[in-house]
Amino acid sequence: MTAAVVSPAARPASLPAPGRAVSRLAIRQIRRGGLIVVALTSGMTAMVAATFDTVMADPAAAGSLAALAGNPAVRTLFGTPAGLDTSGGFTVWRVGTFTAVLLAAWTIMATTRITRGEEDTGRWDVLLAGRITLRGAVVRHLTAVMLVPVAAAAAMTTVLTMSGTPAGGALVHGIGTGLIGLFFAAAAALAAQIFPARTPATGTAFTVLGVTLLARMVGDGITALQWLRWLSPFGLTELSGPYLHDRVVPLVVLLAATAATALTVPVAAARREVRGGLTAAHTGRPARLGLLGGVEQFAVRRVLRPLAGWALGIGAYFLLVGLTAVSVTEFLAANPAMAGQAAEAGFAGLGSVTGFTATLFALLAMPVGGFVTVRLGAFVAAETDRRLVLLTAQPISRARLLGAEIAATTAAAVTLVTVAGLATWTGVTAIGGELPLTAALQGVWNTLPVAALGLGVCVLATGWAPRLAGTVGALPAVGGFLLLVIAESVGAPSWVREISPYAHLAPVPLTGADWTATAVMLAVAAVLTGAGIAGFRLRDLRS
Amino acid sequence: MTVVDAKGSPVTDVPALRASGLTKRYGRLTAVDALTLDVPPGEVFGFLGPNGAGKSTTIRLLLGLARPTAGRAEVFGVDAADVTRAHRRVAYVPADVALWPHLTGAEILHLQERTGPGTDRAYRDELVERFALDPSKPARTYSTGNRQKVALVAAFATRAPLLVLDEPTSGLDPLMEREFRAAVRAARDRGRTVFLSSHQLAEVEAVCDRVGILRAGRLAEVAAISRLRSLHRAEVTVTHTGPAPDLSTVPGVDGVSSAGDGQLRFTLTGPPAPALRALAAADVTALAVREPSLEEIFLDYYGSENGR
Repeated sequence: MTAAVVSPAARPASLPAPGRAVSRLAIRQIRRGGLIVVALTSGMTAMVAATFDTVMADPAAAGSLAALAGNPAVRTLFGTPAGLDTSGGFTVWRVGTFTAVLLAAWTIMATTRITRGEEDTGRWDVLLAGRITLRGAVVRHLTAVMLVPVAAAAAMTTVLTMSGTPAGGALVHGIGTGLIGLFFAAAAALAAQIFPARTPATGTAFTVLGVTLLARMVGDGITALQWLRWLSPFGLTELSGPYLHDRVVPLVVLLAATAATALTVPVAAARREVRGGLTAAHTGRPARLGLLGGVEQFAVRRVLRPLAGWALGIGAYFLLVGLTAVSVTEFLAANPAMAGQAAEAGFAGLGSVTGFTATLFALLAMPVGGFVTVRLGAFVAAETDRRLVLLTAQPISRARLLGAEIAATTAAAVTLVTVAGLATWTGVTAIGGELPLTAALQGVWNTLPVAALGLGVCVLATGWAPRLAGTVGALPAVGGFLLLVIAESVGAPSWVREISPYAHLAPVPLTGADWTATAVMLAVAAVLTGAGIAGFRLRDLRS
Repeated sequence: MTVVDAKGSPVTDVPALRASGLTKRYGRLTAVDALTLDVPPGEVFGFLGPNGAGKSTTIRLLLGLARPTAGRAEVFGVDAADVTRAHRRVAYVPADVALWPHLTGAEILHLQERTGPGTDRAYRDELVERFALDPSKPARTYSTGNRQKVALVAAFATRAPLLVLDEPTSGLDPLMEREFRAAVRAARDRGRTVFLSSHQLAEVEAVCDRVGILRAGRLAEVAAISRLRSLHRAEVTVTHTGPAPDLSTVPGVDGVSSAGDGQLRFTLTGPPAPALRALAAADVTALAVREPSLEEIFLDYYGSENGR
């Protein structure tokens, strides 16, 4: 070292700015996922926009689309259609909610992963020993995540404009979706300042997502509660009415809410300690030894808390379905022409409560598929970060260790769909409708084979490609649904449609279960699970 | 405990741990290379090696957490891959202990007890006291040392006859380090086998009967510590009244230097007889031999090579 004496004031000018290095680190951690999300949101938007002309050229398809859009349940899920007779309005209605939820979910997970998650592991201790402050690190990581919704908004606006839709509507839709992503990034970052651990931070942000999405659905479903949409990012983008109204005020409200949330983040970060939160961590408590008697019990103990959260969300949604079922079906029964159209479109029996609930029960496989994927992903995460090591060193076979997880997850999935069935039945019964409890339960249990397929794919990934365990499980339930929707939109050959498990799902309780399809799906799930367990027994543990 | 062979007849002298030709390759990297080693029951075995030499990989193979590319690992005669049988006799402390963040220390100890090979509760409570562990705190709030204490208490309190400890004291303070050594000695007194991987050479020297030194995935040496010493350079200082002896041609003698009036200092490797013969003519009045510490032996192995 030649420059041995440096006066404290004379800082070497060549020292690189620490902030930029931290920003680069943050971007590195999210770039791959970010690119995938931007590609997915803009790609699906482009694809649906491209199908508009084909759909409208075929009068039968156009009729079925009108029937589908008229279905209040579908409207509740996808939002109130605005300007469905234009290519842009059609696209926004068809994929707008899906892309917004996808973007929101990704930004939440990315934000808590690279901020609170990194802090939890202790890696930020090293980072913050450098010249950057906690506040600076949080702001730079949040900014990095926020680049993704901005890019997604730009990409969506571009593909919509290139598809020939009016630039104004494209801009309103792109900005609206981007703002949703920005809002949830800020909300997740704020939750990560409040709670001293990643799990409650992620959980809280997802609760906000669930509650605001539900608020929009309630606002769409119940006329008297339409104002609820002003309290939800999803409601606000719907109120902006791309391609039909192109209103700016709702977007300004959403922008203000996003800015207010984002500006609270550095304030909260400055008020807490590294690895601490604004809420105090527990300092000690008496031991709770329940459900710690073995790996099976322990698997149940770990699933209980997430199960309660998911059951609350799914239960609330299906209670809403139950409460609206009677008014919807009466409306359809009073409009035979519309019911006839719906029947032609494959939605026979929408005029009855059993038919209506059967259509919605099929959608249940998606959140339940997501749930099993998250649980198996958590199992692999425990293996990767070595929490599982002490258990793997016990006289417990690998098959039993994974089997306990599969059994607990399966039991939780059955509980989830049962909660959905009970909630629907409660809703229908409360409003004076006619839906036997057994019919509701048969309807929800009928969707279990699709969730089982998701679990099978997850277990297969756990055994052979553990990196994928937290994602591919959504393939049968969510991917299968998308495949069906896309295949029907573009009029793909029937074999493409048949790949989707939903093509084989009987509308229970409107009709009886398709036992052959059920048996085939369960058999495939069992084979996948068995192959996954075999792989898990043979491979090296990731720890 | 009686160990039986494939025909059901009792087998004596089954090693607590056996590795035969144990090899693990990750692509082109050979982490463990044809390792062959027996650790007899009742022995405290030190497993040494620099970072990246393959110590933790070897332990993962011995515990069946990773599958060998070639060769075989056995615990009391049972294939390490058969964990339901093999792990009934093993308790393990990993190098970097990760715990379930929501569970308290007491809850983790309870879970380990209920899933493990049997626990001596009274001894566990005693260990909690001795290691000054507060078991009421959630694991998320534990420091590295406290997480290690939880794993150590859980392992020592089991009735498993074999303890596999992977750098168990790297986060402990000197007081706790002393408790650790006492616990290892107590384990040995109970006839348990201890396989201790460590960087703390003073600790290994204090508690181990035999050590194995791993270098680049291969066992460079396995020997009792006393024998290791005899194989390595001892520092010899002689005081003589006669003429200074010429030691330059004596085998095993190196680094001869004068240490003042009538004093000579040199290092000696191997049997001392030739050196003593050469010294006979010099009227030696005093002779001091300092045996090398384990640290010096260790540095002899790795000094210039960094282990690879």
